[in-house]
Amino acid sequence: MLEPAERDALRSQLRSAVADKRPAEETLVSIGRLYRDGKASDALLCARTLQAITPDLLQQGSREISAFIARSVSLEPVLAFMQIEAALAGFILTAEFGGYGSFMDEMLNGAGPLHATSNFDLILLATDLEDFAGALPDLCASGRGDGVAAEIAACIDRLRSMLVALRSRVRSRILVQGFVVPDRTALGDTGESNLPGGLRAAIRQLNTQITQVCTEVSSCTFFSVEDVAARFGKARWFDARLFLSSRVPFAAAAFPAYAQAFAHTVRVLFGPMRKVLCTDLDATLWGGILGEDGPDGIATGTTFPGNCYRAYQQYLLRLRARGVLLAIVSKNNLADVEEAFALRSKDLALTLEDFSARKIGWGEKALALQDIARELSLGVDAFVFVDDNPAECEAVRLALPEVAVVHVPADEPWHYVERLQQGGYFDTAAISDDDLHRADHYRNEEQRHTLQQSVSSREDFLQSLDIVCTLLPATEAPLARSVQLLGKTNQFNMTTRRHGAAEIEQFHSTPGGQAIALRVQDRFGDSGVVGLLLAQTAGEVCRIDTLLLSCRVIGRDIERALLAEAARRASNDGARWLIGEFVPTKKNGPAAGFYTACGFTTDIPEGVPAPSQDGASLWYWYDLHWGNPPVPTFLTFEGGDHEPAIAGVSA
Amino acid sequence: MSQPLPASLRDLVADTLEIEPDEVTPELNTETAENWDSFRHLQLMLGVEGEYGIQFDPSAIAHLTSVAAIQDALIKKGVTF
Repeated sequence: MLEPAERDALRSQLRSAVADKRPAEETLVSIGRLYRDGKASDALLCARTLQAITPDLLQQGSREISAFIARSVSLEPVLAFMQIEAALAGFILTAEFGGYGSFMDEMLNGAGPLHATSNFDLILLATDLEDFAGALPDLCASGRGDGVAAEIAACIDRLRSMLVALRSRVRSRILVQGFVVPDRTALGDTGESNLPGGLRAAIRQLNTQITQVCTEVSSCTFFSVEDVAARFGKARWFDARLFLSSRVPFAAAAFPAYAQAFAHTVRVLFGPMRKVLCTDLDATLWGGILGEDGPDGIATGTTFPGNCYRAYQQYLLRLRARGVLLAIVSKNNLADVEEAFALRSKDLALTLEDFSARKIGWGEKALALQDIARELSLGVDAFVFVDDNPAECEAVRLALPEVAVVHVPADEPWHYVERLQQGGYFDTAAISDDDLHRADHYRNEEQRHTLQQSVSSREDFLQSLDIVCTLLPATEAPLARSVQLLGKTNQFNMTTRRHGAAEIEQFHSTPGGQAIALRVQDRFGDSGVVGLLLAQTAGEVCRIDTLLLSCRVIGRDIERALLAEAARRASNDGARWLIGEFVPTKKNGPAAGFYTACGFTTDIPEGVPAPSQDGASLWYWYDLHWGNPPVPTFLTFEGGDHEPAIAGVSA
Repeated sequence: MSQPLPASLRDLVADTLEIEPDEVTPELNTETAENWDSFRHLQLMLGVEGEYGIQFDPSAIAHLTSVAAIQDALIKKGVTF
């Protein structure tokens, strides 16, 4: 909580932020402080100030998310909170509300704004139990459960029809809000826990089945408001006065909790993903200072306080198991660290080999992080840095603002896991096979580097890798992997369009459309599906909407395989021109020269209609009359179920 | 009301209705303020409740249609500014 004087200072600072021409980022930080630590009523001033700096935030790269809220409850008073939370997570949220009684008509039939040409990034369905499964409370009153399953099934069928109808019309991501398991019911606690057909059990079942429906519909995610309410506190969640008088579904005190969970979901669905956790060693991965306490003196193991550190190590290991790469950034002597890992292996949950990168030395940590980024071919915005030293944390924050910094309190090591969890950095709506194998992949990458040093020319090196490319439909990559690539690839990404599953399916199924995924293997291992191309032929012109390659395989000319395949299909579809598009961003420098290097020209050929000039796009043309763009000879193609393999390409 | 308008209430009204604080007078009401619709009213009421730590009876909320009426209701609730 802020001191009154501090609060007043922040309030007057926000009030004059625009007049004083204060930088928008700085104002956003002040908004965050006042919003989180001021009074509930300060959200009004924060929301207003946010609105004033929104144009600046958009210009500085905050992404706009347009949402439609199909609902049967009043979420209008919560919107300001959702917008502030979204802005603090890097998004500018605009929202339009549907009618109270018309959510079904809107979703099912496209009434109101949800017509086929609507273009929302996100559609949230938020209803009250009364309007979604209104018969349940009465059916559960006896606790016997008669008719409960049938009623749930009917509600789920209705939801499925709504979602399927909606998905067939619009491309937006869909977020379906579940229901809160009520704190008090007519049966009472003992009845709820012992009788077969209580309301709590019914609502848990309802939530489970909604989750299931969400997995059946592409780009559809379940939003568990039950978890939000439980974390906030069930006893305080529902405010009967607000609900009965204004249909506000939860107490005013819970607005920030709901808004934060919503913004977190937006970040998971639309934001870049964190992929690497860099941890300090002394007083972080283990207790004490290795250089002073020696390998036998550091705290780790099964007894307190060593078990605090071991809990943190086990948490890292669980992150690694689902695809997060671990790295060490520590000021220590390498030999000492190696000795500690060897001598204390029984007490440590991790081995040195579990870390995909290790920067152990006496240099600056920000530089070490940049080195790791280079080694792993990832941007530092994929990094989370954990350290107990506030000065190191601050130094990294200043030098690399894109890195998420987690400061852990050295005197309270039992809080480490909690601190790391609070940021929710590695949360994700889907986990692919590729995620699960990522750590192995990077180990293979080390072997590739070693090989590169022993082979003289680049061509010879690439030849020696025995690269095999397999082309497959992006809808079968599987589809979730294609969506993930679109969401996460930043460097070799020509347009950085974060399409969802619905758009991929559209490219795949439209005549003249292409949605190609690329799987890459070499003698060291399977890199998985790492490339994607979306294109559409109309008349004589094939426009490449998206061409991307995971940074894991940049630098081996693999992207040319995708381009050649697109050219082949475009020719078959009757196109004469390939149009490439490049939208420069802060990160996609590695992709900048690609089209020119492949023989595209930047001059509009005669007789070709100029593409609409929207924003920062640069355009490139390729005349297919001169044949397809060349493919490197060191790439071997495997058709899989895709036929025929690229003509004229040999191993 | 003869009491002066408290700055905290003035700011709350201004932020909710998105007007300048000095445009907020005790006489300002749902008729004269262009922005003061039912949702902003609810938002204002929640803001006032949060700021002063009180709760209004929902049936009274419909009658708190001017700045003076809100101030009056707060004083009756024992709020000191």
